[in-house]
Amino acid sequence: MTQLRTLVGRNVRLFFRDRGMFFSSLITPVILLVLYATFLARVYRDSLQSSLGDFLNVPEKLMDGFVGGQLVSSILAVSCITVAFCSNMVMVQDKAKGVVRDFVVSPVSPPIRALGYYIASLIASTAVCYTACAVCLGYLAWVGWYMSVWDVLLMLLDVFILSVFGTAISSVLNFFLKTEAQISAVGTVVSAGYGFISGAYMPIASYAGALRKILSFLPGTYGTSLLKNHALRGVYAEMCELGFSNEALNSIRDSVDCNVYFFENKVKIPEMYGIVVGATAVFLGIYIFLNALFEKKNDR
Amino acid sequence: MENIIDIRGLNKSFGDIRAVKDLSFGVKEGELFAFLGVNGAGKSTTINILCGILKKDGGKVIIDGDDIDRNPSEIKRKLGVVFQDSVLDGALSVYDNLACRAALYGISKRDFQERLEKLADLLELGDLLKRTVSKLSGGQRRRIDVARALLHKPKILILDEPTTGLDPQTRKNLWKVIEDLREKDGVTVFLTTHYMEEAGDADSVVILDSGTIVAMGTPLALKNRYTGDYIALYGADENAVKTLGVKYETMRGTYRLFVPDTSFVTRLIVEHPEVFRDYEVIKGGMDDVFLAATGKKLVEGGEK
Repeated sequence: MTQLRTLVGRNVRLFFRDRGMFFSSLITPVILLVLYATFLARVYRDSLQSSLGDFLNVPEKLMDGFVGGQLVSSILAVSCITVAFCSNMVMVQDKAKGVVRDFVVSPVSPPIRALGYYIASLIASTAVCYTACAVCLGYLAWVGWYMSVWDVLLMLLDVFILSVFGTAISSVLNFFLKTEAQISAVGTVVSAGYGFISGAYMPIASYAGALRKILSFLPGTYGTSLLKNHALRGVYAEMCELGFSNEALNSIRDSVDCNVYFFENKVKIPEMYGIVVGATAVFLGIYIFLNALFEKKNDR
Repeated sequence: MENIIDIRGLNKSFGDIRAVKDLSFGVKEGELFAFLGVNGAGKSTTINILCGILKKDGGKVIIDGDDIDRNPSEIKRKLGVVFQDSVLDGALSVYDNLACRAALYGISKRDFQERLEKLADLLELGDLLKRTVSKLSGGQRRRIDVARALLHKPKILILDEPTTGLDPQTRKNLWKVIEDLREKDGVTVFLTTHYMEEAGDADSVVILDSGTIVAMGTPLALKNRYTGDYIALYGADENAVKTLGVKYETMRGTYRLFVPDTSFVTRLIVEHPEVFRDYEVIKGGMDDVFLAATGKKLVEGGEK
C-alpha cells in the first residue's frame, strides 16, 4: 500500500509540476467551450427551432438552456477522454527518459506500478475535468439554468465515471507508446475522433442507421448520453410545464441522444452506468494484465 | 571466498543478434569487479539481466544464493543500481526523489531519515536536498544517483559507467565514497567503465567482446599475460641503448624500451649498469591488456 501511495504521489506531483502538461490538459475543454459557444450553439438552436416550428412559443431562456445543456454535456464527454490522455503522459515520459528502469529494479510489482500510473492519471484527469465542469456550470448559469442540485451531483458522478473510463482507455493505449511524440499523435487522433463516435459533436441519432447500430456497441455513446440526460433533465421538465406532449418530448430526447437505442431497445440510465462501469473494468483488467505479462521485455 | 554473483552459460539474443553468448563468470563477495567491453559487447545486456530488466534466453544467474528465476523480488532488495543515465525525476527536489525511492523499498520514514543523514554525510548532500534535480550539475546528480542506489543498503552495487562525463575531482570523490563503502560495509561493486585506470584498481576483471569473454582475471595476471613492461630511460646515449639489443622508441630525448617482463629488466640492468643511470620500470596498463585481448581501444563513449 505504501508503494502504491508513493507512486501515485510521485506521478501526481510530476503532472502538476509540469505546468505545460497541466495547462495543455485544461485548455482542451476551454477551447471546446469557446468553439461550441461560437459556432455549434447556433446550429443546435436552429435545429431545435426548426423541429418545433410554430407549434409552441418557447422562451428564449429555455432555448438557451437547452442548447447550453447540449454544449456542456458534449464538452465534458469529450474532455473526460482527451484529458485522460494528457494526464497519462507521465507513464510514457518515464519510458522515454528511462526512469521506468528504476522502478523495474525495485521490488515494486508490475500491477502496483501500473495502478500507480492509473490512479495518478485519474486524480489529475478528474481535477482538470472538474475544473472544466465548474466553468461549464458557470456558462449554464449565464445562458439558462434549469438543473437541480441532484442533477448537478449526477453530472459530477458522470464526469468522475467517464474520467475513470477515459483513464482506463488511455492507460491501455499508452502502454504501447514509448515516446512523447507518439502520445501527442495518439492524443490528437483521439480528440478528433472520439467526439464523433461518442455522439458528442453530432448526435448519433443524426447518423445513418448502420453507423448508429455500430456506435451503439461503443461504451462512450452511453457516457455522453448520461451527461446529456442530467444536463437537460431540468429543461425537459420546464418544457413539460409549458405543455409539450410526451410524444414531442420523446422526439426531442431521441434527436439529441438522451434516448439511446440498442437494436430498437431503449437503454435505461442504470444500464448506461452498467455499460460504462463494465467497460472500464474490462479496460483496467487488460491494462494490469499487459503490465504483468510484459514485465520482462525481450527487446532493447 | 564465496561468489556473490554466479553466472553460468548465460545467453541472450535480440532477433538474429546474439548479444551474450554462453557467458560464465563469478564475482566474489566484497570485491571490486570490473566488466569491460566496447559499446555493444554485451555489458549492458548482462547487467539488465542481473537487475531483472531483461529476460535471459538461457543459463543460470545466482545472486547471493538466490536464483533470479525463482526469487527475483528478494534479489532486487540486494541490488543497488546506478545507471549510465540519471533516472531521477528532474522536476522534483532531491529530497522528494530519495524519499520516493526509499518508500518503494519499504523503508519507514524514521529509517529513511537516519539513512539519509548517513548518506548526506558520505556523499556531501547537505546543501542539495532541497534543490530541484534538473538544476543540479552532472556531478551533483551523479552523487544523488549513488545515494538513491544505496538507500536500501544493498549488498551489491552495480555501477554502469558511473564516472563517464565527470570532471577528475568529482570522479576522485566518487571513488573515495565507493572505496569507503567497500571497506566499511563490505559492499560488492560490479563496475563497467571506459576508464582503464578505474579497471586497474579492480580485484578482478572480465573483458567482453561480441558477447563472449575474451579475458578474465586479476589486473596483475592480465597485465602479465597480455602485456610486457616498459623501461623509460633518461639521459642515455643512443649508441649505448642500441647495444642492449631490445626494441625501443625515442620520445623527446627519452628512450622507451620494450621488455617482456620484470626479470628481464633485472638481468638487463645487471649486465649493463653503465646505461641505466636514470630510469623507470613501468608495467603495461589495462589499456594495453584491452587492446591485446580485443584488438580494440576503449575510449569514452565508444571504441577506436
